[in-house]
Amino acid sequence: MISRREFVLGASAAIGVVGAVRPLLGWVTDESVAIPGKDGMIVRSFRFLDLEMPVEYANSFLTPVEHFFVRNHMHEPSTLDAGEWRLNISGEVEKPLTLTLAELTEMEQRSVTNTLECAGNGRAFAIPHVPGVQWEKGAVGTARFSGPRLRDVLERAGVRSTGKHVMLRGLDEVPGKVPAFIRSIPIEKATDGDTLVALHMNGAALTRHHGFPARALVPGWIGAASCKWLTEIKVLDKEFEGNFMNPGYRMPNQPVKPGDAVKVEDTHPATALNVKSLIATPSGGASLKSRAVDIRGVAWAGEANIEKVDVSTDSGATWQQAQLGKDRSHYAWRLWSYSWKAPKPGDYTIVSRATDTQGRVQPDSVQWNPSGYLINVTDRVKIRVQA
Amino acid sequence: MCRLSVLLGALLSLMRVAAFGADSADLPLGPMQAKVKTACLECHDSRIIVQQRLTQIAWTKEVDKMIKWGAVVDPDDREAFIGYLSANFPADKEPYVAPRMTKKKQGR
Repeated sequence: MISRREFVLGASAAIGVVGAVRPLLGWVTDESVAIPGKDGMIVRSFRFLDLEMPVEYANSFLTPVEHFFVRNHMHEPSTLDAGEWRLNISGEVEKPLTLTLAELTEMEQRSVTNTLECAGNGRAFAIPHVPGVQWEKGAVGTARFSGPRLRDVLERAGVRSTGKHVMLRGLDEVPGKVPAFIRSIPIEKATDGDTLVALHMNGAALTRHHGFPARALVPGWIGAASCKWLTEIKVLDKEFEGNFMNPGYRMPNQPVKPGDAVKVEDTHPATALNVKSLIATPSGGASLKSRAVDIRGVAWAGEANIEKVDVSTDSGATWQQAQLGKDRSHYAWRLWSYSWKAPKPGDYTIVSRATDTQGRVQPDSVQWNPSGYLINVTDRVKIRVQA
Repeated sequence: MCRLSVLLGALLSLMRVAAFGADSADLPLGPMQAKVKTACLECHDSRIIVQQRLTQIAWTKEVDKMIKWGAVVDPDDREAFIGYLSANFPADKEPYVAPRMTKKKQGR
């Protein structure tokens, strides 16, 4: 066991007096650190906290919260009192209102099992490299989110016919002159019956890292749409114009060659997730003693459903169809498995390729774009079979 | 009150030095190391720097973006700043291996 130590300022009173020092909170000096509520995660960054799920944890329909990835653009709220927290709804509405957590809890609750994936998951595979958190495979997870429908919250305020987009703002603490993390979604998605003001995750109250006490849950869409620590909902007559809508989180309108520059006017906001699969086991680099190989993984498709997953054990030369798991829910990944017997000892490359109900198929090469978003290249692992 | 402020300031200075010092192994030595630490680690963990593999053009864009967002970089240091990052974290450097939190023991 490696020693661990978190650099935490104990004098909480001092924090309020000298706000400028807040960035030092949570400073971690060792490579191996305990973060309450998290286990075995890949540490992409401590400040701001970005934790990736090791791909071997993609082995269950619901991802335990302790293994669920964390993506923060800035500091998490340093203090959050559920009793004092409020959700304000304003903008193009008849009756601006403020709701308490208790009031949200009293509303009709809806549960949606959703695969949440960071738009930048897989960015590390973009060549030429692009700046940003170098996520590999595990900025993704599936959880059961519960809370009132965003539609019901908006109905209480009465959306005017001029309301076309819904702005979501969280309590992220903004350092320096960084633009606040504010995004918007079209009114059609906001009023979809599966879009939530989520209060619970896998049956328990949201944890701090996942947006306590409330977050948006915009199912099937990039994680950035599901704003954490939600505090403000504003109905707008047009898309929100801020850094995290433009130039942030945009995709080229047309495929581009790796390394090409793209003008912002030739882009559109990233919304729904791509079709994608991961191989959870065996792990890349595994040396197996048995020729009987149990190949397992997950596959998801944003707003679509998974049609099939094909597996190759010869680096893509031939393909066999995997068996899909019984657990299923719209917006959620499917578990898949394929039992294979290696013909002889040696080195093999296993590849997984998902197809969805919209006919989309994972590409066999990275679809490069300047921000490394929505990368969904077929997954592949190299293994050695010994016996 | 004044004494409290002084003590607090001293404590915070010590913390800052300790925190930056503990992280210095991540950022290679060089004339700009201290200034990069001062400018970047005010908000970031050094890991977000050391995991990047970028061309000089890309580093230039990142540095300029960060200056716009509040990173304190003396205009006279900008070129050297970009040079330090480009030289130490170039596009063709071997990939950075991220650390992993210790795993909880599985009790069955």
